[in-house]
Formats: sequence, structure tokens, C-alpha cells
Amino acid sequence: MDLIFLSVLIFMPTAGALVLAVLFNSKAVEPMRVFTVVVTAITFLMTLQLWMNFDPGVSGIQPEANGVSVEWIGTWNIHYRLGYDGISLPLVVLTSFISMLAALASWSINKLHKGYFVLFLLLETGMLGVFLALDFFLFYVFWEVMLLPMYFLIGVWGGPRREYAAIKFFLYTLAGSVLMLIAMLMFYFGSGGEFSILKLSAIGQGRVPGVQFDEFTQITAFILLFIGFAIKVPCFPFHTWLPDAHVEAPTPISMILAGVLLKMGGYGILRIAFPICPVGAQYGAYCLVAIGVISIIYGAFAALAQTDFKRMVAYSSVSHMGYVILGMAVWAVAQDGNIVVTSGRDYWLMGMNGAMFQMIAHGISSAGMFFMVGVIYDRVHHRDLNQFGGLFALMPLYSGLAAGIFFAGLGLPGLCGFIGEVFVVLSTWNFSPVLAIVAASGVILTAGYILWTLQRVYLGAEYKGPHADEITPMNAREATIGVTLLFMAIVLGVYPALMFDVMNGSMAELVDGMDAGLRAAQQSGASITMTPTP
Amino acid sequence: MDSLGSELSKYLLLAWLLPLIGFAVEVLGGYWGNRQDKRAAYLAIACIGAGFLLSSFTFYRWGTETHWQAFAGSVSESGHASVADPSGSDGHEKPDAAHHPHKAAGTETTHGTPGHSETAGAHDDAAHHSPGPSYSGTFYTLATFGSLTLSIDYYIDSLTILMFCMVTLIATCIHIFAVGYMSDELTDEYVDHSAHTSDGHHVHRPGRFHRFFAFLSLFCFSMLGIVLAGNIFQVFVFWELVGISSFLLIGFYTERKSANVAANKAFIVNRVGDFGFIIGLMILWTYCGTFSFGDQDLNGHEQPGLFSMIRGSDGEITTVGDDVILKTVGHNGHWEAPHEGESNRTLPYFLLVIAGLGVFGGCVGKSAQFPLQTWLPDAMEGPTPVSALVHSATMVAAGVYLAARFYPVFTTEVLLTIAYIGCITLFIAATIAVVATDIKRVLAYSTISQLGYMMLAIGLGGWAAGLFHLITHAFFKSLMFLCSGSVIHGCHHEQEMTKMGGLRHKMPITAYTMLIGVIAISGLAIPGSAALIGFPIAFSGFHSKDAIVATALAYTSLNPIHFLLFLTPLVTAGITAFYMFRLWFYTFTGKPRDEHIYSHCHESPAVMCMPLVVLALFAAGCAFGGENGPLYHMIGNSEPLGVASGVEAGGAAGVALPSHHAIHEVHGTAGVVALLAAGLGTIVAFLLYCRPVVDPESIKRQFSGVHGFLVEKWQFDNLYDVAFVRPSHIVGRWCATFDKEVLDGILHSTARTAIWIGTIDRKFDETIVDGLVNVVGNVTRSVGMSLTVFQTGRIRQYVMFIAISVVALFALLFAFMPKA
Repeated sequence: MDLIFLSVLIFMPTAGALVLAVLFNSKAVEPMRVFTVVVTAITFLMTLQLWMNFDPGVSGIQPEANGVSVEWIGTWNIHYRLGYDGISLPLVVLTSFISMLAALASWSINKLHKGYFVLFLLLETGMLGVFLALDFFLFYVFWEVMLLPMYFLIGVWGGPRREYAAIKFFLYTLAGSVLMLIAMLMFYFGSGGEFSILKLSAIGQGRVPGVQFDEFTQITAFILLFIGFAIKVPCFPFHTWLPDAHVEAPTPISMILAGVLLKMGGYGILRIAFPICPVGAQYGAYCLVAIGVISIIYGAFAALAQTDFKRMVAYSSVSHMGYVILGMAVWAVAQDGNIVVTSGRDYWLMGMNGAMFQMIAHGISSAGMFFMVGVIYDRVHHRDLNQFGGLFALMPLYSGLAAGIFFAGLGLPGLCGFIGEVFVVLSTWNFSPVLAIVAASGVILTAGYILWTLQRVYLGAEYKGPHADEITPMNAREATIGVTLLFMAIVLGVYPALMFDVMNGSMAELVDGMDAGLRAAQQSGASITMTPTP
Repeated sequence: MDSLGSELSKYLLLAWLLPLIGFAVEVLGGYWGNRQDKRAAYLAIACIGAGFLLSSFTFYRWGTETHWQAFAGSVSESGHASVADPSGSDGHEKPDAAHHPHKAAGTETTHGTPGHSETAGAHDDAAHHSPGPSYSGTFYTLATFGSLTLSIDYYIDSLTILMFCMVTLIATCIHIFAVGYMSDELTDEYVDHSAHTSDGHHVHRPGRFHRFFAFLSLFCFSMLGIVLAGNIFQVFVFWELVGISSFLLIGFYTERKSANVAANKAFIVNRVGDFGFIIGLMILWTYCGTFSFGDQDLNGHEQPGLFSMIRGSDGEITTVGDDVILKTVGHNGHWEAPHEGESNRTLPYFLLVIAGLGVFGGCVGKSAQFPLQTWLPDAMEGPTPVSALVHSATMVAAGVYLAARFYPVFTTEVLLTIAYIGCITLFIAATIAVVATDIKRVLAYSTISQLGYMMLAIGLGGWAAGLFHLITHAFFKSLMFLCSGSVIHGCHHEQEMTKMGGLRHKMPITAYTMLIGVIAISGLAIPGSAALIGFPIAFSGFHSKDAIVATALAYTSLNPIHFLLFLTPLVTAGITAFYMFRLWFYTFTGKPRDEHIYSHCHESPAVMCMPLVVLALFAAGCAFGGENGPLYHMIGNSEPLGVASGVEAGGAAGVALPSHHAIHEVHGTAGVVALLAAGLGTIVAFLLYCRPVVDPESIKRQFSGVHGFLVEKWQFDNLYDVAFVRPSHIVGRWCATFDKEVLDGILHSTARTAIWIGTIDRKFDETIVDGLVNVVGNVTRSVGMSLTVFQTGRIRQYVMFIAISVVALFALLFAFMPKA
């Protein structure tokens, strides 16, 4: 029953796509738009149902401890296995939420409508599948399923350099997938033929007698997986596909790209790389934290230098997603007798939760920021930051909402961005004071580039760019999207426990499991050395 | 006592949230309402006014429930000055006095020598050794991670209640004033004479009356949030929120570039301070595991707050080697360091110093202290009521408030830094104020300077003196800002003093209420009145500045090497009197310098004058009784442990802090010299600007170098631009270029290499592989030709072929597939 519900949830958009492809006249643009919104809305309601059914008090995967599954390719022990916990559930809801808003923002698409909406819905299936899959092979399939529609959505409906951006996105992600594939095969053969993520995690954490991934496997696989996922996050230095993809992608696709797709990288690390390779995670922790910090600062500096509005927002994503990597990796260890164990477990747990929260918060604020760029782009057809100004007088509602959303990106308390950033930063000192200080300095740069952008776009005496007479106030549809996003930003900023209540239990399990994994690996001979780090 | 705490918290919670509700309604209602509607203002006033009533009621409830213990000292002193109270009974009746060792009684008998001043000093000691009760609790939890909890708390003591009353009272006055001041926004077609479009016209826009009040309400909510906050993280939350309110209010005239730039500058410079703040938070969070001020009850498990953890019940920091032992053993508000052998939590001493400096960094930003003072003068771009409320009375004082609140965490090294920062700030700002000609800028620099005094006092161990000055300053400075607003309003938005003069004839109420403020800030008193009638006849500023100077003098006599910490504030007291009277003489006396402005100028309407009168009353009388008065006692009731008795020389800084007794001993001397300095400044101002015996212009010419340096604000803005702003942009461009040239360059050359390999591959394919394939192809082709017999065109036949093939393929598949 649960399996059917989850499958219906995942394939609801696909069914919608089929209906759209078969039954709709390709000239009936308005019905197709509305139909897509309705399908995404139904999907969203179904994920909310999932949220209601979720019991934070139950440990492990829900609705059943091993996920609900049916054999798919028995010869290779591949299962169609689905399930969710406190890590994936918020992302599932985020996916359907952002997809619904992006569908509502798709009115600006002005060619080949049918193809667009079909691909859009297929994309949503891919994304939901990634977050709900508990079989590594299935995960991989969904990962690829999501890739193709995205490629076409950027490559066909994008801006002038869309082909370059699409191919760059595709190749980068594909490179990541290949690394993931290698790691997957390493696990498969190392475990004696196992694809279940839960089983693999148990093996990696030393909970299965007789089978264990040795230190070398864990470290190698972790590095492969991390690079694969880091491309998706994206972290410095794998981030250059992101600005191009965003700049060329149409507004709703940018919203999905920033709001959901980037989270797959973070989710992959939390769902696969960390639990299966605790030794590798500890091995790479300092490097990860450093990459996170560099991404924060580098992204902020690069954002400061942009003149293209959308590029600026894209670099802010690089900066904000740096907090995700940073927060996950603050796994400090200390010598306890002759083994190395977690030190300051609660701080690491806080960092993990903060990273997770930052993913949700960024999903809302960055989708909002891209939407805000799209609204003005639809009117004046340019994005040059130096050719805006004075929009507050011309579009007061839009400017007010945009200011709110940008403040959320700035990390203003009371809005969602603050909680994620500050929780991550607070938990970092326990791991590395130096990197913590560097990360904290990001608050100055972030304020700098966001406020400077706000000033150039919304404030000032007059609008300085072309198409001044086409500037009209927001319409009801646009306002609905903006208000919804800002509302969520405020709710999460004021009452973050809404999210923490759901994810804290699963995070604690992950943290404790990885600690146990580290201990188990050492008991069976792995030598973890403590290198003093600043 | 808990019941009283939760009762008080409910009142204050309501007072705190009302402005937020007001904000929400004003923003939404204003969007749909019309531009002539004044209801936004009425709602804002109602919210903040109700907040004041609630705060006052809280004060009343707090007072009656604690039997007005906080003021008991003043009663006994004024009534029976020489009666010593050996049992220290007023200490015993304090709700939590039992938890504190009774140094009080001991001190009293030791110092209880005859003589009015001595006894009073002893009483102060007695009153302050056991601080009044504080109530803390949690509104709701943000998140819990294992043993770590972040929540929205409250912490209520006499200082909280006092700040609530002060903020809401001043805010109410300023809200009412703003109804008049902002009335020209009540239009659909507002012409902004300071903003120009590219074709040279003034900007026309709809009025934004409601938006102004919405932002004011948001600010009030955030400010009260800081005051009510029960943990340092929560302070940080509202710290940022007042920052953004300030940003919105400074940039209220969004069409003016100068306003936008000033707003950005204010926020970003504050963020520099907040960077330090976060570092402090990280250290405390990592080592103490709590942010809470007060002790907390977590599911029945009692946990000490930050102050208890660091200072314990005896007010001392316990160190072993280079580590501070955190006092985590105990219960019921009585915390001690673990004994030897017990597991203990420690914090390296140098990190405690850094944490203190970091949090103080936040205060430096918010209170516009050196070296982050540059944003405040620019913030005067905001409407004048904003300058009065946000940028003089409340928000900028929040830095001082936090420094005071966080006093138990500061080590002597941090306190010395605070003292020197305050000292440098008060001097620099005062010198710039001397040459400023924009009426609001003079007041802005004066604000910075006075905030420097408060910081200095706190750094010197004059905890109550600093807060005393905070309260008095809030009243007289908001008064003066509103007066300047009244002048600006009357003179049709002219702010240059060089175009004013003689205005007291046109606007007498403004002029004389302003004079009260000027006398208050200058610290003038009637000489000899103290000797004649037992207490000095003076306005509030005299008492508070007197307290600071006395602290400085006592401090300097303990630490002679830091004599500048006394000399500078003393000299600056003279400068303060000089520039404030200069402002008053310039504006209100003499001949009109600009006839046009003078002839059009008028007194402001009653809605603006009434708040002036109310604030003038408070500016004159709020410090009634000086250090024996109710205000000072109310503050003293919250004084942290260990302040009253002073601190012996020690630590890396090697400074000693004066005890209350020591300060009191030099009080008379300090009062006289401070009054002398102020009088001197006043006389010089009088001679230069009112009855000119010396032409200020000639002095300006003679010291043109110094003058230019001061007008350029000591070159700070230019320095920061060169040192920080431009380099950031350059580094930003480097990063962008690095992306484009290096990272993408690598990518592109990889792609080119792949294509090149592909081309070679294609050549190979076309010549060699295809050559072979063509041979095969040709053969196939001839075979195919011969097979055309099968191509009959009959569907049934094709289907049969396909079926056979499929069966054959499956047979192969099953033959070769690995068996599971």
C-alpha cells in the first residue's frame, strides 16, 4: 500500500506528462499551463500527506524500517526500494513545493509549450525519485532521468548561449555520475552484491558481521562520491557550470535548478557518501570544511563583481551552498585511549542539522531570488545590474517582496537564511577555529553584495535601462508566488523547529552511526590518525 | 518568585509584540490604503504607547512585589543619613539574598565612618553587593541538539524594566512628534527636493507616511527584543533586526543616492562589528554550551547560565593555569567550580578575552565607537525622528547596554580595551563636532562622543555610571534631535547652521527646550549649590557625567599609568560644552544669517512641541537626586556581582578597578573639575559665538590645516575606502576572472583536446576502419542483392522473420546469461 502510494507520488508528474502529450492540443497553451500547475499541486498535496504521516519519534526509515520494496532485476539483486526519513522528507516536500511554484512561474515560456511542460513534469518525477529511492541503482537511474529533461529545458528554452550552457551542465553532471557509478560498483562487489543503501550503510558502519568495507575502499569511494556530489552542490572549484546554466535557463528552470537540483548534491553526501564511508568522511573532513569555507568566501567575492543580475544570484548560490558542505563536515575527533572517537558530538549534530536546514532555506530563498530576477527580466528583457534603479517607485509590491527575499538570502534573522548559516557557523569553532573565523567573515561580504544589488536595482531616483514603459506592477499570479515564498521564509526563520523536529532524529542516527562506524573500522584494524589542524 | 517572573514576562512580551503587530498591519494596510490616511501613525502610537503603559505597569508590579527594595537605600540615606544598619536587613529581604554571601554587612561596618558622603558610599556598597532579583525563562525553543538548546528567552531585572520604560516613553514621544514632522508625506504627489532625475527635475512620488511608521514600529519591536532577550544569541538576532530597521529608516528617501549609500554603509559597517560578535558567540557556545544569561531549568535539570558559569556566586573568575574553570557545580542559583578531581569544563583564558573582545566588537559597530564610528554621521540622511529615536537614544545605546549586560563575561583586559576605545572615541568625535556646521551632524558627533563616555565608564568599572549616562543621554539627546527636527521643519528642510541665527524669536519653545538639553549635556550646575543645600541644582547630564568623571578619577589614582583615561574625558567635557553651546548660539541667537529662511521660519505645531516639553522635563529631572536618586538606585539594583567592591590589580593588563567606596571618595573633587571644564567650554562658546570678542573665522584661518583635517573627519572615510572597500571589489573581480579564465579555461582546453582526439579518431576511422568496412560492406551488399528474393513485401512473412529472430535471441540470452 505504502509502496503504491509512494510510486503514485513519484509517477504522478509522469502520468501528467503522458496525458499532456497525448490529450492536449499543442496550441491550447493556457489549458496546458493550468493542467501542469494542477498536477504539481496534487503532487505537493501528496507530499504534505507524507509529512503528516511522518512520525519523528520512530527511528530509521519510514514507512517501514527497510523501506518498501519490490524486486526489480533479481539477477543483480536490484530492488525498487522506496522510503523516507527526516533527511529526505523535507527535501521531498521542498521539491514538490518548488516545482509547483515553478510551474506557476512558467507563463513566461513562449515557445514549444507542450514539449516544455512534458519535460518539466518528467523532471519532477526524476527529482522525487532521487529523494525517495533507497536502492543505489534506482537512485542512479532517477539521477540520470532527471538529467536529460534538464538538459533539454536549458538547451531549447534557454537564452542566447543555451547550447553551451546545456552541454556544460550535462557533461559536468555526467562526469559526476560516472564517478558515482564507479563507487557504486565498488560497493556492489565489495559487499557481495548489495545495492540497498540501508544495507550498504550498515556494512560501512560495521553493523553487519563478517562484511566490511576496508579503509582503502571507504576512502576511495568517498572521494569519488564526494567529487560527484560536489559538482552538483556545486563547490569550488567545480562550480563554473552553475552561473552559465542559470544565466541561460528560463526563470522557472532556474528556480528548480537552484531550489532543488543543487540539494541533490548535499543529499547524496548525507544519504550515500557519509553513512557508507564513515572512515572516508573522517579522512576528508578537514578538506570538506575547507572547501565549504572557500566556496562561501569565493562565491561571495565573485558575486560582488558580477554585473549580470542572474549571475550574481548564481554566485550567491555557490556561497550559500558552501555552508551546507561546511556544516556537514564539522566532525571533530579526539583520541580516546588507543582509538579516535567523535569529540563534541552535539556540535557536529548541530552542524549537520544546520546544513540540512540551510538546504531547505536556500531552496526557498534562491528560488525566490531567481524568480524575482525573472519578473523584471520578463518586463525589460535585460539583466544588467547597472541599468536598473528606481523600481521601488514603479513596482512597489514586487520590490517589497524582492527585498524580503533578498534579506532572507542575506541571512537576516527572522528569515530562513539566518538559521542555517548561523547554526553552521556556530558549530564550526569546535572543529577548526581558523576556518570558523574565515567562514564568519562571510557575513560582511554577503551584506555587501546583496545590499549593493538592492541599491542598484530597487533604489534610486529613476529607472536607467531600456523598455522603461513596459514596467508594470506584478500581476496576481506573480504576487502569489512571491508572497508564498516570502511567507515560507518567514515561517522557517521564526519557527525553525518545524524542520528540526522532523530531521533531528534522523540526523542524530546518522551522526551516531558514523561514530560507531569509525570505531568499528578501528577495531578491525584501520588506523585513523589525528592530525592536528588549525 | 517564579510566578512574578512569568507575570512580568507576560506584560513585557505584550509590550514587545505590539509594535510587531503594528508593523504588519501598517505595511499591509498602507499598501491598500490611501496616501492621506493618518491611521498608520495612530496605530503605531497606540502600539508603542500601550507598550509604555505596560512597561510602567510592569515597573509598578515589580516594585510592589519586591517592596521597592531597590529604592530602600535612597530612603534610608536621605532620611537617616548617619544611621548605619549593622544587620544589613534590607539585604536579607531580597528574594535571593540568601544565595549570596553577606559581604554587605561586613563592608558596612568596616566603612561605616561618620560623615554624610562616607555613609552614603557605604550604603551603596551594601546595596550593590547582593544584586536584585532577576527572572529568566523561555518563550519557545528554536532547536535542541543533544545537550545544546537554542531558544527565545527572557531575562528581566531592574535594568530590563528601566530600559523598557525608557525606550517606550521616548519612542512614544518621537512617534507623536513624527506625526507632525512627516505630515508632508501625506500626499499623492510628494516632491523630493533632494533627489533629481537625470534630466534635472525633482523627483515626484507618492507620499510614504504609512511606511515610515511601519518601519518605526519594526524598529521598536526589534529594540525591545534586544532588551528583553534572555540569551546572547537572541540579542544577536534582534541586533541584526535593529540593524535592518535602521537600514530601512536611513534609506527612507530611497530616491536619494546619498541616503542609499548611507544606509548600506550603516549596515555593512555594523556587520564588521557583528563579525566579531559571531566570533565571540562561537567561542562561548563551544566552551560553555549555553548562551543563556540566567540559570536555566531544562526539563528539571538545572543548568547555570553564562554569567553563573564564568563568575559563579562570588563574582570572580577562577583560573587554573591558563584555563578558566567554568562553575557548573551547584544548584538554585549558587554555582561553584568543581573540586579537584571532578570532571570540569574549562575555557582557555585567552579565548575568554577574545570572546569578550568579539562581543564588544559588535558593540563597537552598533554604538559607532572608534574605529567603526564612520557610519553614524552619514546615518543622519534619515528623517530627523529616526535620528532621534534610532541613532541617538536607543539603537546606538544598545551597544552600551550589551556591554553592560555582558559585563560578567569581560575580563580586565577586555575592560581596559573598552575604556580606551571609549576614550579615543569620545575625543575624536568631540573634535569633529567642533567644526561641523550641519545641525544634525553636530548632534551625531556629540552622540558618538557621549557613547564613548558610557563605554569608558563601563571599561573603568563604573557599571552603573555608564548606564546612568545612557538613560540621561537618551532623554536629552532625543530632545535635542527633536528640537533640531523642529528647526529643520520650521526652516523648510534647511540643516546648515550657517544659514540660521536668531531663531529663538521665531520658535521660542524649540529654543528653550533645546537649551535645557544643551545645559544637560554640558553638565552645567549651579556652583556651590551642593555645599549650600546638600545636593547640586543641575540637570540630568551633570549627575551622570559627574559619576563617570569620578569613576575615571578613582581609576586613575589606582592606575596612574592610565592617566589619559581621566584627562581626556575631562578635557572633552569642556569641548562638549563648547560645541553644544556653539550650536545653540549659532542657531538661536544673534542676527539671522539668511533673511529668506528666517522670514519663512515658524514655530512647529503643538503635536511637535508637546513631545519636546515632555522630553525636556525628563532631560532636566530624570536623574533627580544624582547617585542617591531613584534612577541610579534602580540601575544599581542590577549591578553584577563584584563591581561594588572593585578589583585588585592583576591579569595581563595589570589594572585595578575602583570600588564604589573609592569612587565616592573622589566624587567631590571630580564634580568640581568637571564643572570647571564645562563652564570653561561654555564661556569660550559664549565669547566666540554669542558676544563675539574673537572672530571664529580668523581662528579657522589660522588653523586651516587642523580645521581641514577635522572637517574631513580625521580622514577615516577615505582611509577605509582605500583600505577595504576598493580592495574587496578588486578581489571580487579577481575571483570572477579566475572563474572565467582559469577554471573555464581548463575546462575549455580539455574540451578542445577531446575534440582534437576526436578529429584524429575520425581520420583513422575514415581511412583505415572505413576502408575495411567498405570491403565488408561491398560483400554484404552483394549478398543482400542476392537475398532480395525474401523481400516479398508481404507483411505476414516479415512478422514470421521477426518472430523467429526474437526466439533465437532469447535462446542465446538464456544460454549465456550467468545463473544467479
